[in-house]
Amino acid sequence: MVTQTQQKVPVTVLTGFLGSGKTTLLNHILTKHHGKRIAVIENEFGEIGVDNDLVIGAEEEIFEMNNGCICCTVRGDLIRILGNLMKRRDKFDYIMIETTGMADPGPVAQTFFMDDEIGDALSLDGVITLVDAKHVVQHIDDSDEVKEQIAFADVILLNKTDLVSTTDLDKIEARIHAMNSAAKVFRTKNSEIEMDKVLDLGGFDLDRALEVDPKFLEPEYPFEWSGAFELNKEDYQLKLKQGSDPSMKLNFRSAASAQESSMRDTVENAVVSFSGDKVQLEDGSVIEAGDQLIDLTLSGKEEYSYTLRPHKPGAYVVFSEHYFEEFDAFIEDSSGERVEAISAREYKADHEHDDEVTSVGINTPGDLNLEKFQKWLQKLLAEHGQDIYRMKGVLSFDGQNERYVFQGVHMLFDGKMDRPWREGERSNSLIFIGRNLDRTTLNKGFNSCLA
Amino acid sequence: MPSLENDSGSNDEFREVQCISLGDYVIDISWSPDGTRLGAVTVEGLVYLVHVSDDAMHYNQIGHHATGGNALSWRLDGLEFATAGQDGTVKIWDGHSGEELCSLPMSDPWVSKVAYNPKSKFLAASGGKTVSVWKDDRSLIYESHDHASTISDLAWNPDGSGLAVAAYYGVTIHVPNKQSKPRKYKWKGSSLVLSWSPDAKYIATGEQDSTVHFWHRKSGDDARMWGFSTKVLELSWDASGRWLATGGGPIISLWDCSGPGPSGRQPRQLLGHRNKLTQLAFQPNGDLLASADADSSICLWDPMNNTQALHKDKLSSPATCLRWSNNGHLAVGQRDGSITTFSTTN
Repeated sequence: MVTQTQQKVPVTVLTGFLGSGKTTLLNHILTKHHGKRIAVIENEFGEIGVDNDLVIGAEEEIFEMNNGCICCTVRGDLIRILGNLMKRRDKFDYIMIETTGMADPGPVAQTFFMDDEIGDALSLDGVITLVDAKHVVQHIDDSDEVKEQIAFADVILLNKTDLVSTTDLDKIEARIHAMNSAAKVFRTKNSEIEMDKVLDLGGFDLDRALEVDPKFLEPEYPFEWSGAFELNKEDYQLKLKQGSDPSMKLNFRSAASAQESSMRDTVENAVVSFSGDKVQLEDGSVIEAGDQLIDLTLSGKEEYSYTLRPHKPGAYVVFSEHYFEEFDAFIEDSSGERVEAISAREYKADHEHDDEVTSVGINTPGDLNLEKFQKWLQKLLAEHGQDIYRMKGVLSFDGQNERYVFQGVHMLFDGKMDRPWREGERSNSLIFIGRNLDRTTLNKGFNSCLA
Repeated sequence: MPSLENDSGSNDEFREVQCISLGDYVIDISWSPDGTRLGAVTVEGLVYLVHVSDDAMHYNQIGHHATGGNALSWRLDGLEFATAGQDGTVKIWDGHSGEELCSLPMSDPWVSKVAYNPKSKFLAASGGKTVSVWKDDRSLIYESHDHASTISDLAWNPDGSGLAVAAYYGVTIHVPNKQSKPRKYKWKGSSLVLSWSPDAKYIATGEQDSTVHFWHRKSGDDARMWGFSTKVLELSWDASGRWLATGGGPIISLWDCSGPGPSGRQPRQLLGHRNKLTQLAFQPNGDLLASADADSSICLWDPMNNTQALHKDKLSSPATCLRWSNNGHLAVGQRDGSITTFSTTN
């Protein structure tokens, strides 16, 4: 029962480990000239000092409910303080919440869905997560907090880039992207970033929820590894040992340059090659550079050697279904010298960890049956809601002229009919970000809802 | 506005007497026990003393809490009142002159509640997880940090013996003058407001999870009522202690707590508000119930005799507090800074 038409005050949540640069970013935001009066709620003690804005310190208070549902868990400190700020609402036009480094963003986001008083007056504009590029590698594997903070983010600032090599940054960014392919990632030094990239995002605003590049919705690549090499016009040997798989798909192709920065087109062409027919080759065969998808036979022997044949001197890239190191694979020139890759890239980070946080994007044409979809989603959220951190989507329902847009946090779900579809636009795209997501099951389940 | 006569045939009159504007969200007001004065505190922390007579309200700003105000309470004898502020203090004011008598510091910067004992001169206040009790010589006689979260509400037992505190994980009753161990009424949930029944048999709490909890004070038995559309912040007992009125949405529910208690009984429901309720208040020594909602409507009910509102009126902004005086006047604090008084005769 909401009849207020007053503009809701936007709230931005800053998360990130201690030392990742949250307070520095907050100070940038408070001192930049943006004409906003900002109130700050701080769960972590930092050095903030600004005359015109209000800073309130608070201890994190997590309120779990008797029903045991984690989705009903809210943040009591925020309800209390935000409720009070709303009584002074003419005094502030923006609110920032700085959480502790160990904070779970779930209860923070849920507070905006679950508490009617807060939901009526405030809108969660976005979750910004700062990642310390130098130290994140130490935490990312064994810290649930880091994973959750990345999974919940609308914007991720990969900060302190001056302390880390470009190759390492690429690796971290690829990893982050695999976990949350809906977030925008910016590389920053000293938390410096344009204000319009962090404020007024409308990240939880349905109208803007799907302003996501559709390509990002397909983060899955058919290969796990690529290596770029400078090669002459001569035969090279690709040496491999027996590994986890009795065969491995591979594409060997030329590239404009062996530098990582110019790889984009080459990667896209390789994806096309991997979707084509493959040629099965036996040990000792020749692999010509080109579009052909090769399937290497890797069973029955201990070691294998295939010939790689470039057509002219230049940059070449090998795309392989599995990591080279899983097969102790390397390339040798005609004199028996090992040729090192100029750059290498992983496409699916940490695929062996079953509990890894990932994104599953679904892009499917066709119209959905409303009833089937509701049943499927209800069941999915009831069974896996705890593992689904965020979801967003635009759906096409049978018999409806308008787009249906939705988003959710855990089991909480918010959706509505949006503008009419434009000519040739009708399609379904949605993304789940969470833990233990099974891409095949999700795709299958979703497709079964088509009318 | 429609005005309905009740079944008893007596003519109710409910009329606006006066209105003043303090210009800032009125976060709490309270009548002096003799009904001649009002204390008021605003969200920005301004403290006012208002002298109320039949034909005029005279008000003075008598001081302030530097970073915001939260609550106000009168002492039984009407000689002084206390305010709680976001500046980490409880301030005590002379009930006639308005002079600031003293400032009592608390360890937490956000002092949320303050309450004088209904039978003695003890004063209780809460800030963060701490509850403190002072004697009339301003000496601290009791302090407890034994709460799972920031304290959301506190209220003295109507007989003055115990002090109930609501927080996450239920209710705690302290007995400050006996220094005995506090009694816990545990519940995994966040209790937001609490209210003693006038006979002290029950403590009712409004909960974050959109339920109302009844605690039987002696036995510790509890009952839980649900079906509310929002969290429940509005609770008020009628003078007899038989009925508890609850909000938590646009519908007023009246729970019959006589005999075996409210369990298994359907509440009476009063329909009249279109938006969610913001305030509910039974007269302390009469049968009338006042209610206000987020659309700035205010209603007056005689719920034992009529399920329809006796009167309905529109305020200039939503009510933030409804307070009855002991002589039947209703004071309404509002979001836009207005304080309006109404009189009833029946």
